[in-house]
Amino acid sequence: MIRVEGLSVNYGAVRALRSVSFEAPSGQITAVVGANGAGKTTLLRTISGLVSPQSGTIHLDEVSLLGLATEKIARLGVGHVPEGRGVIEELTVEQNLRLGALSSKVNLAEGLEEQYARFPVLGDRQRKYCATLSGGERQMLAMARALIAKPQVLLLDEPSLGLAPQVTAQLMKAIRQLCETQDLTVILVEQNAKSALRIAHQALVLHLGSVVASGDAATVAADEDLRRYYLGVAVS
Amino acid sequence: MDWFLSLTRQETTHSRLIAMAFLTVLTLVITFFLPPVADSQLAGGAAIAIVVLGLSWLTGWSGQISLGNSGFMAVGAYAAGIWAHHHASTPLVFTFVLAIVFGGISGLIIAIPSTRLRGPYLAGMTLAFSAAVTPLAQNFTSVTGGEGGLFMNSLVTPRWFLHFFSGPNAAINASAQWSADLAVVVAGVMFFFMANLFHSRTGRAMRLVRDNDVAAELMGVNLARTRTTAFVVSAAYAGLGGALYSLLQASVRPETFPIGLSITLLTLMVLGGIGTLSGAVIGGIIYSFSANLVAHVNSLTGVNPTSNVGANMQGIIFSVLLILTMLFAPRGIVSLQYPLRRLFRARPATPTPKDVHL
Amino acid sequence: MSVFLSSPFMHNIFAGLAQGIIYSLVALSLVIIWQSTHVLNFAQGAMAMIATYIGMTEIDRGIGYWWCVIISVLVGMALGGVTERVLIRPLYGKPEINPIVVMVGFLGFLEALAAAIWTSTTRNITEPFSQIYFKSNGHLVFLSSFIIFQIVLAMGIMLSVAALFRFTKLGLQLRASALAPEVSRLLGVRVSRMLTIGWILSAGVGAIAAVIIASGNFGLFPTDMDGIFVASFIAAAVGGLESPLGAVAGGLIIGLAEQFILAYWSPDVAPLGGIIILVVALMIRPQGLFTKNTIRRV
Repeated sequence: MIRVEGLSVNYGAVRALRSVSFEAPSGQITAVVGANGAGKTTLLRTISGLVSPQSGTIHLDEVSLLGLATEKIARLGVGHVPEGRGVIEELTVEQNLRLGALSSKVNLAEGLEEQYARFPVLGDRQRKYCATLSGGERQMLAMARALIAKPQVLLLDEPSLGLAPQVTAQLMKAIRQLCETQDLTVILVEQNAKSALRIAHQALVLHLGSVVASGDAATVAADEDLRRYYLGVAVS
Repeated sequence: MDWFLSLTRQETTHSRLIAMAFLTVLTLVITFFLPPVADSQLAGGAAIAIVVLGLSWLTGWSGQISLGNSGFMAVGAYAAGIWAHHHASTPLVFTFVLAIVFGGISGLIIAIPSTRLRGPYLAGMTLAFSAAVTPLAQNFTSVTGGEGGLFMNSLVTPRWFLHFFSGPNAAINASAQWSADLAVVVAGVMFFFMANLFHSRTGRAMRLVRDNDVAAELMGVNLARTRTTAFVVSAAYAGLGGALYSLLQASVRPETFPIGLSITLLTLMVLGGIGTLSGAVIGGIIYSFSANLVAHVNSLTGVNPTSNVGANMQGIIFSVLLILTMLFAPRGIVSLQYPLRRLFRARPATPTPKDVHL
Repeated sequence: MSVFLSSPFMHNIFAGLAQGIIYSLVALSLVIIWQSTHVLNFAQGAMAMIATYIGMTEIDRGIGYWWCVIISVLVGMALGGVTERVLIRPLYGKPEINPIVVMVGFLGFLEALAAAIWTSTTRNITEPFSQIYFKSNGHLVFLSSFIIFQIVLAMGIMLSVAALFRFTKLGLQLRASALAPEVSRLLGVRVSRMLTIGWILSAGVGAIAAVIIASGNFGLFPTDMDGIFVASFIAAAVGGLESPLGAVAGGLIIGLAEQFILAYWSPDVAPLGGIIILVVALMIRPQGLFTKNTIRRV
């Protein structure tokens, strides 16, 4: 479970997050939606310690993440799939996965086997350099690389970006499945609000750094005003 | 040093000329009150200040760095030295022009492949150049005089100047003073040219290239040519400074221009403040009186100046100062007139291969 | 065969390779640091020199040759780590000329310090390997036990470094930290520690080169590593600064070229040999002969 209270982040004079509070329970997907520049990515980067907040608290269960180094937060069980996936192109698929497993105590061979079973296409390409992978394959690799460390929390930043609608649908289904079977806390940042809200349990709508609505995902999805004012054309 | 800056900042060539002339004359007056030893030190400092100014222009205005300016100094010094050795009676102005031309040409030769490079590559390339100069001068004995170097006797004190002096050491005192005055005048002229260059079209283009080369290119600035120009000017200044320095010593020898001299130049530039006229002046003053400074430190710490430690004290002090200044006050010991905000702008906390542009 | 091996041509080949492999080692050490922190370490040669001088003071106290080698390398590694932490770390995120200036200052400091402590004289280690050329059927073959030792040691170090990067967890983390620091941190890699380890590793490799030089006929002078650094920088730049293999190949090319210019052209112009090669190489491929990425602007 991730609990965020009163989180504010400034980039110089720009206020990227204004007193954001929410709780993301385990076994559930919390969708964070909103327009470009709403502060979604900043929120994830702050949780991971890449950005330090001006005020507020972040807890993973009872442990405060505030002020911890990014690598320490990762080792505590927060998996972060960054915007653009962050696949290291100069390394092979398997080297990327091994890198993901290094900081945890999981058995490498078992971990690899598990991920190849979950994403068979990665097993087929394990010796290939990542520069040769397609967008969908990269997304799978990035997820597998985060999952191999058996995290408690998975932060996903725009996983659907650049993917065909069909691939997105498959991906979303996989995320939902993962979350329920592994009892993961998933925070899903998406501009594609429609598909995110469809699989999420609860949702958070950000606008210019502030939470303008939160609650049950279905309720948020059904709210006409929210759709019109904050989620734009993505929801129809 | 703000008074200096405001003087040299004059907007018209005319006012800059008056400002520089005033400062030069002021320095000339000061030399009359200095003891001969200090005059000699000041003369060397003025020659080095010219070189530092050229380096400072290159780094502060075009954003390039050179570890090769000791090499350009050597080229200018040998060009002037070889000529003066054989033609002692040639007017000094001609010898200086020769040094400027040869310094500039050597700069051009290094600049053509180098200006396509940036940062570390450029620094390494210029270091390779200055490392090659000393052995070359040692090898071509028939031209350069090899290890022993060449002697020249061009700095003859004019007869009318001797009239100002009397007493048992009149000739020696007059000679020291004449050397200092000559060096100060040459430096004054070179500083005046640089002040104008700072305010010229080329100067503005240079800053644009340094701050944002993509934008500069879009605005029609020819990047390669602008960078090459910066390099040639810097090398010409080094050539003249090297020639003046050697003429003051009445000899030119390979060992005068070791790689260490490039480190000294860098130190003087950084201490004074990169990219400013006043920074080069301060660098020259520090150089002039570095021997006194070192002697002072030696006596404070009780180190025997003729011991190993004493002999290397200057190297130790200068390099420590260079490191500390760069870490804690990268704009030098004076605040900068032309803030290098963009040059020293913050970059992402960890270097990522993708955003490093060489 | 032995006539061929004892020809002047083969003499130049052997001598060029023996010198070149030292350049390769130092060039490799420059590339390791360059890849991880994008700093060209101008003090690399001087750091190795200091480390070897400290090792040599121990040999004066009667320890054996190999202990001296080990001490030099360990001191070099420690110096590398401390340098990264104290001098380089505050400069991450600053413009690229700042670390250049600081490392040039450090170069001046180390050379002045060495001259102050040990005097400006050549020091050498009495090496356990003979420098006398072998004979085959009465013909001199221009190889000695020392040259063989030099080449084997350098090759061994280079292969170990390659194996470390290719086959170990540490190597994977070092590469990932250099390629994608932020992503690596998100995966739990202690990137800042990796940068320090990169410097430690690099300085250790550099120290080996200085030890080999100090073991040779001519010994080691405080400023000797300047020339080695310049040649090795040229080697690394010819290879592209990004490629360890390119650095090693570049070192051998420079070593051979210097030897052949010396032997067949004129010893007077030999100092310019390296620069000419660098200029020509940069004209042909500005990004380095061995760099795959052709888009990167150099």
